[in-house]
Amino acid sequence: MDTAVADLLIEGLWLMAIGLGIVFAFLAMLVGLLVLMSKAVARWGPEETLPAMTAGGHALAPPQDDARLIAVIGAAIQTHRRRHRP
Amino acid sequence: MEALLTLWQSTGIANVTWRELLMLLVGVGLIYLAIAKRFEPLLLLPIGFGAILSNIPVAGMAGPDGMIGMIYHVGVETGIFPLLIFLGVGALTDFSALIARPSTLILGAAAQFGIFATLIGALALNLLPGFDFSLADAAAIGIIGGADGPTAIFLASRLAPDLLGAIAVAAYSYMALVPIIQPPIMRALTTKAERGVVMEQLRPVSRLERILFPLVVLFLCALLLPSAAPLIGMLTLGNLLRESGVVERLSRAAQNEIINVVTILLGLAIGSKLSGELFLTTQTLGILVLGAIAFSIGTAAGVIMGKIMCRLSGGKVNPLIGAAGVSAVPMAARVVNKVGLEENHHNFLLMHAMGPNVAGVIGSAVAAGVLLALVGP
Repeated sequence: MDTAVADLLIEGLWLMAIGLGIVFAFLAMLVGLLVLMSKAVARWGPEETLPAMTAGGHALAPPQDDARLIAVIGAAIQTHRRRHRP
Repeated sequence: MEALLTLWQSTGIANVTWRELLMLLVGVGLIYLAIAKRFEPLLLLPIGFGAILSNIPVAGMAGPDGMIGMIYHVGVETGIFPLLIFLGVGALTDFSALIARPSTLILGAAAQFGIFATLIGALALNLLPGFDFSLADAAAIGIIGGADGPTAIFLASRLAPDLLGAIAVAAYSYMALVPIIQPPIMRALTTKAERGVVMEQLRPVSRLERILFPLVVLFLCALLLPSAAPLIGMLTLGNLLRESGVVERLSRAAQNEIINVVTILLGLAIGSKLSGELFLTTQTLGILVLGAIAFSIGTAAGVIMGKIMCRLSGGKVNPLIGAAGVSAVPMAARVVNKVGLEENHHNFLLMHAMGPNVAGVIGSAVAAGVLLALVGP
């Protein structure tokens, strides 16, 4: 076997060891950072996490909208009753 | 009479060489694969057409003053086109599955073994007559195992511009072959029980987490691996445009107009590298063979890491999702889903496989950064 090729192969093996090592180290650190990030968001982040993820997108509305909705519905019912009062 | 002779001298028939003729056929073949077989048509069609245009005798379209030659010079030699594609990929990718289960990043790392194993394979080919791959060439060939077209083109344009045509064609054709190459390897390495593992549903991910994710990735890249910054930077920018929710127009442009325009130009430019002298060599044949091996090894390494995670987690991880660690988004994840469904008709692995799948994109960009830092000019 060529010594030149053998040298290249040895260099390639080094590259593989270092390269894979860095790739694993980088992604393992990213795993750690992401876990920390998620924990931080869960603890200090705003509380809007659940509504954003529910399937329909608008299954839960924020409370102030609720109040408005109730007011609107209430007004609608009153108008309806007034109109249909004998 | 003299004029007639001059006219004859300027025709294509008088000037065509057998190499150009053969490459014209290769171009037609690529277009056929794209239209009739639907093989990665978005890329193979412009590449095939670019190959035809560049091999028209006398016209010299791929030369330094030709139209396609200039497109190549501006977009590919500088690395701009693959980076703009990465911007679009970032804007198109939903990383929620990865944020919900960060440990799948390790699967994306394992699948990069294919890149480095192929690098060794390319160097070993030097033992055969007709092959003369330098370390930089071998690194550019190895990146085919990352199963990520733009990354492969970016790295090849930096390390081995002469091999770019063969590497790009190999990368994209094997991505089209993912549904054929992967399943036998996945079945061979896993048991029936392992393939049937049902995974827990992923937790919901908040908007804030999705906004912070690209910034965290970029931060780590800036700290540790600046050579991967062009790739990771554009990927995370695209993703931030998407998740921030305040630049809908820019996000849509990155997902559609920009990526589409660049795909056409990139295809033409790569086609110009399919010229006779560069493509019709034994090296190309070697690259095509090595590419298939790269894919297979990457898949196998991902599945094996999946098995290890399955053991460590007490049987909560289905090892099949490791196969999605070779980027090829979203094709590899769909293949995982299909193989999983064969075992258990109610076991949908698609969302679980998206985690390692997008981790593979980050993994191959990191691997490209490492190779650039170690063997780059």
